[in-house]
Amino acid sequence: MEFSYEVRDSYAEVKADGRLNMVSAPKLREFVTDVIAGGSNRIVVNLEKTAFMDSSGLGALIGCLKAARQAGGDLRIAAVQPQVKMVLQLTSMDKVLTAYPSADEAFSND
Amino acid sequence: MTDVLASRSFRGPAAEDAVESVHNDLDSLWLDVPFVQDMDQMTFTTAVIESVSNIIQHAEPAGDEPVELGVDITVQPTLLQARVSAYHAQPPFGPMEPAVPGEDSESGRGLALIEALVTTVTFERQESTNTWVLSRTSSQG
Repeated sequence: MEFSYEVRDSYAEVKADGRLNMVSAPKLREFVTDVIAGGSNRIVVNLEKTAFMDSSGLGALIGCLKAARQAGGDLRIAAVQPQVKMVLQLTSMDKVLTAYPSADEAFSND
Repeated sequence: MTDVLASRSFRGPAAEDAVESVHNDLDSLWLDVPFVQDMDQMTFTTAVIESVSNIIQHAEPAGDEPVELGVDITVQPTLLQARVSAYHAQPPFGPMEPAVPGEDSESGRGLALIEALVTTVTFERQESTNTWVLSRTSSQG
């Protein structure tokens, strides 16, 4: 899995391309922690190219969400693909991790 | 006699690399059986990867030999089945009932997820091998 980020006007967009599994989950957590430490506490994780996520990946997203909130911000997810959507719904975590159609829309109403 | 249309097998150390290997095996398996619907592929793949990850993260060796992972997947006309085994392993520790963790918990959702994804999950222990058998009745397109 590959990670990248870009600081936008009101948030930082993190892209996670590949499979978000037990191997990549700790790396996502570390990557987002670094982005937050760099001064961005409003994070959008763009999952457009995340074809797969398991419960480890979900745990990492929840950890990142907590880290963003502890820093006074928030974390939202965008462009969720069908398998990821399924895992979010089956675990009822779709209520906690709000999914937006695109990264642009995630913080557009704040 | 069962009508196995396609299969894949993996055997190797229960280490992180195995997750990607088994996932690649599943991706190539679906190419052999394009009639298996996307939803069945997606749910079954997720359940198998959850089980494999569970062994890699939690299985403890029973003796001097390290834990080995074995995955045998078969596709029959209306049945997807995976036997996911931990060889040279102690019996699983702790409750095997799925937990319902709090919404801010970062772990503990795997077993419940597996149960939601497949039709049946059974567990067998023979000598020092733990085997989870995941079965999903698949719809025919």
